[in-house]
Amino acid sequence: MSEAFAVDVDNVVKSFGTLRALDGITLRVRQGEIYGLLGPNGSGKTTLIRAVVGLIAPDSGTVAVLGHRMPDLNILSSVGYMTQAAALYPDISVEENLRFFAAISGADGNVDEVLRVVELEQRRKSVVATLSGGMRQRCSLACALVHRPRLLLLDEPTVGVDPQLRVQFWEHFREMAAAGTTILVSSHVMDEAERCQRLGLIRFGKLLAEGSPNEVRAAAGTNNLEEAFLKLSGRTSE
Amino acid sequence: MSGHRVAAITRRLLHQFRHDRRTLALLFVAPLVILSLLGYLIRGGTSAPDVGVANQDQGPAGATVASALEKSSKIHAVTINAADGDAKLKDGSLVAYIVFPPAFSQLAQQSTIAPEIHLEGSQPGAQAPVLQAMQDALASLASSAIRFQPHITYLHGGPNLDQLDYFGAAFIGLILFFLVFVVTIVSFLRERSQGTLERLMASPLRRGEIVVGYMLGFTILALVQAVEVLLFSLYVLKVHNEGNVLLIFGFEVLMAISAVNLGIFLSMFARTEFQAVQFIPLVIVPQVLLCGILFPISTEPQSLQYVSDVLPLTYAVNGLRDVMLKGADLTWPSLQLDAGIVAGFCVLVIFAGIGTLRRRIA
Repeated sequence: MSEAFAVDVDNVVKSFGTLRALDGITLRVRQGEIYGLLGPNGSGKTTLIRAVVGLIAPDSGTVAVLGHRMPDLNILSSVGYMTQAAALYPDISVEENLRFFAAISGADGNVDEVLRVVELEQRRKSVVATLSGGMRQRCSLACALVHRPRLLLLDEPTVGVDPQLRVQFWEHFREMAAAGTTILVSSHVMDEAERCQRLGLIRFGKLLAEGSPNEVRAAAGTNNLEEAFLKLSGRTSE
Repeated sequence: MSGHRVAAITRRLLHQFRHDRRTLALLFVAPLVILSLLGYLIRGGTSAPDVGVANQDQGPAGATVASALEKSSKIHAVTINAADGDAKLKDGSLVAYIVFPPAFSQLAQQSTIAPEIHLEGSQPGAQAPVLQAMQDALASLASSAIRFQPHITYLHGGPNLDQLDYFGAAFIGLILFFLVFVVTIVSFLRERSQGTLERLMASPLRRGEIVVGYMLGFTILALVQAVEVLLFSLYVLKVHNEGNVLLIFGFEVLMAISAVNLGIFLSMFARTEFQAVQFIPLVIVPQVLLCGILFPISTEPQSLQYVSDVLPLTYAVNGLRDVMLKGADLTWPSLQLDAGIVAGFCVLVIFAGIGTLRRRIA
């Protein structure tokens, strides 16, 4: 399978009972690109990310990651996944969490480097249960980065993170993308959407619009991304 | 299977326990508390119940038997007035009272020995020592020409074997099985509820690596617990042991591995820790009732004996008792069967755990 796209989602359908969470969605994320998934709550962003990482089996359609048809365990060592809630072991230290997630991906891990990125060097020996919500979110991001993944899947990574650190996160994402890492990130925050190279607007499990922030604005006939988002998703800005 | 990844899971579990002092206390202090309580209950109490004796006999026989009762170690004989007997049974100060009626000696000469034995009756366990003491005391009436001197031999154990030896052999394994099961099922469920299982499933970890990593981590802890329980039972409580200590340890290892994997397997059927704890009355309590710890399986109704025969704990308890009370070794076919079935159950639950651990959420 070709590695032209880091993520290749082709006509994927997934239903939970009568709810159609993904309704024939097709999207392709290029290597080294920061692709933002935008959409309201329940639009299918998390389901799509889970399908990409192989946690959800599509009813139909295919998903390929870094040229490998999913599910494929071996390719997961090249994927970093950050869940929406900080999924960490609360009763061990920050460093022990990082070393564990590095080890299960078969890497020694760049623990010192990621601790610096998320500014948790001073708390590396702290038990996670003693950290604030924002610090846990930072630790969770560090766990997704620690094995130097080629593809980073981030499900609303900056929830609970203060604005200053959020800016630093995005600077780091941009550096990673420049170094060849592909990033698929879901978000509600328009300021973050502006930082993505391409956006996919999802609602009711369908891709409503796709393109760079400028292209999305142009498609909606507005200069404001938030207005474009509301317009294209069939809502009004009033 | 990658040894590196399995070791990472095992190491992480041990790190978690190092920080979690309460769970460590449950694993290493609770068994000693339970075993100490059991030991004190069985060996520390005054086992002889209070029994009233009222001698109204006008001849010598009543006094002879009453004197023998006073010397009995099975009961604590207290001289009472027959008229007070019922009141003392009601207020609980006596479990029974015995009356030697005025014509007791006269009837004895006519070959009828007729003491009146009044039992409180609501405690079946308290009746046996009273009747036993009475039987022993009546032997004192036999003529001096006839001496009651049975020759008793024991195939296993001996006259000093007591209830703690009988229960202790089984409890050594049961405590380990129960505590390891509870800690495993709750720990594994926490993986799910805190979202880390989703993260593990989005990594290159194989399902077998997760189960084996967990199994090794918990088994290391369980083995430390097993050594502690064994040493405490043998050297502090002085539970009787005729067998090889390594065989006892071997049974403990098999029970620990079974408990870990049963916990992993059953955690798949619970969504919360609260639901997980509900497996204790469903899975553990029936096994404890039917595995022969409390009631010999041969005395169970036939239908329950069939159930006991398929419970792995039955074979574990039987094996431990055979080793400790009868000195069984692996040349005994019965011990081979017990060890084989417990080992087979281990393998079964390992595969059940791996089989039910789903990589995909939906």
